[in-house]
Amino acid sequence: MTATHPGNIAPPTTFKPSRLRRMREGFFSFVRRSPMSAFWGLVAAAIVVMAVSAPVLAPYDPLKSNFRAMTKPPNEKNWFGTDQVGRDTLSRVIHGSRTSLMVAFAAVLFGTTLGALWGLACGFFGGRFDLISQRLIEFMQSFPDLILAMAIAMALGAGTWTVIVAIAITRIPFGGRVIRSVVLSLKEMQYVEAARGIGASNRRLMFRHILPQCVAPYLILATTHLGVAIVIEASLGFLGVGIPPPSPTWGNMLSDALNSGLVPPWWLVLFPGLAITLTVLAFNLLGDGIRDALDPRLRNAL
Amino acid sequence: MISYIARRLAFGVLTIIGVSIVVFVIMRVLPGDPLVALFGPDGFTKLTDEQRAQYMADLGLSDPLWKQYLAWVADIARGEFGRSFFRAESVAEMISRRAPLTAQIAFLSVVFSWLVGIPVALVSALKPNSAWDNVTRFFSILFLAIPGFWFGILIVLALLFWFGYRAPLTGAPFFSDPLLNLQIVIGPAIVLGLGQAAYIARMARSSLLEVIREDYVRTARAKGLSSRLVIALHALPNALLPVITLSGILLGFVLAGSIPVERAFGAPGLGDAMFIAVKERDVFVMQNLVFLYACVFVLLNIVVDVVIAWLDPRIRYQ
Repeated sequence: MTATHPGNIAPPTTFKPSRLRRMREGFFSFVRRSPMSAFWGLVAAAIVVMAVSAPVLAPYDPLKSNFRAMTKPPNEKNWFGTDQVGRDTLSRVIHGSRTSLMVAFAAVLFGTTLGALWGLACGFFGGRFDLISQRLIEFMQSFPDLILAMAIAMALGAGTWTVIVAIAITRIPFGGRVIRSVVLSLKEMQYVEAARGIGASNRRLMFRHILPQCVAPYLILATTHLGVAIVIEASLGFLGVGIPPPSPTWGNMLSDALNSGLVPPWWLVLFPGLAITLTVLAFNLLGDGIRDALDPRLRNAL
Repeated sequence: MISYIARRLAFGVLTIIGVSIVVFVIMRVLPGDPLVALFGPDGFTKLTDEQRAQYMADLGLSDPLWKQYLAWVADIARGEFGRSFFRAESVAEMISRRAPLTAQIAFLSVVFSWLVGIPVALVSALKPNSAWDNVTRFFSILFLAIPGFWFGILIVLALLFWFGYRAPLTGAPFFSDPLLNLQIVIGPAIVLGLGQAAYIARMARSSLLEVIREDYVRTARAKGLSSRLVIALHALPNALLPVITLSGILLGFVLAGSIPVERAFGAPGLGDAMFIAVKERDVFVMQNLVFLYACVFVLLNIVVDVVIAWLDPRIRYQ
């Protein structure tokens, strides 16, 4: 795709600022224009760093139980307290971010991307293919996403990949719908018609002229979906069809807490939930910021 | 109007047939052996091949898939919805016992979301960017991020710590014991309602801001109508159209959201049944419940479309 076409009249490359420099300038103008979103973007980045460096950051082994410190409220040794078998809650929350983010990123990467490509094909080719695809998407959207994810996760049996697949499938129709409508309006644009007029092939039109215009809506959609995916993952974990224990996720920590008796200790409930809320908040607000920066027209569309 | 409703209904029937196929494919065709679910991985390995074949035949799982599908459709048509692996009660009985509670929760949560969301949006939209507007916008963004089930557990814990109060664990129909019934329903309804109120307030605010700039609102003001009447008679009714659509869509998502929330509060509704079915890997119950939820979801969408078409003639004549 980077190969220059003989028809392209490219300006002399020496005058063009490097790609890195343009990205840096874009970043700074984003920070200046919406400091709030930049701040939440920073929070999101911090959470991602926390997830990546979990083994270094966590003060204890999240799986190691300490029978001399069971169900202890927060104290100076265990800042977030310990659970029924004496595992450190702080370490488990930190390691939980790893699983949650990994699942959410993978689910969005597969689901939203697959949906977007499907939407691109639907919008571009139209006709019978589009008609059948739209019916299929409609069937998939006839389920509230949590219920669809639950059914798939249950049918496939517990496991990390199961959860990723289950969440990814619920993301497909949204990607399909949004990108399709973007492509439909792009297809009528004059520059596409012009490219077709000078004899560009279908493949070239699709990937060279239409796909790049879909990147902005795709990015906005993907950031919003990250938040949704995290909530679905937590709900699945809470309902016992997520990633099975002992590996900690925020959802199965809450489920463990509730199963520990009629009255769960408050610190086992508070901290994993706060982690979910903070992460979802950060990705939602970052998504809003990206949307406003890239394409304010989409404010009501997504 | 009648032809519009008929068209939407015919479309809905098609969708429900498609949905039933999707549910069937997910629950029966995807890998995952129902016998493993029934006996657990350990019990499954202890079964002999003949026993496995026997159980599969008893459950009707060794027939060809299209036959299984038709048998299931016939079951639904008879109103039986099949049986649970583990319980004597048929799924239809379970639904009729548990569904009213969930319906009540869903209904109350919608009422609650309007009671909170609309006044908040009104005040926000009339004074955009005021302190109140910023505070409510912050809260609506916050409540979009808070998982309802977690909020639910926190409420249960807080009531227990500070007031020594715990909602009763057994359900009761509204008409036999309204007080007991309300104690169970009110918690999930408030949690789910607040989640929806966040969306409703956001949507109503932006829709009101748009409508207030319309010509007919200016005309109404120009002819000397008081500001309060302009909002109540001209702006609000038109601004509410998208909010009604949103509310209907949210209601569908509330049905899904009520699964973890009912679990958090220990309310014995349909969501709780879904949780139990998942925990016990009860494929038949799950299949029927998922189908039921999807049908309600599809039906809700049709009702919303019809209501909007009834309120807004522009859509009807398109």
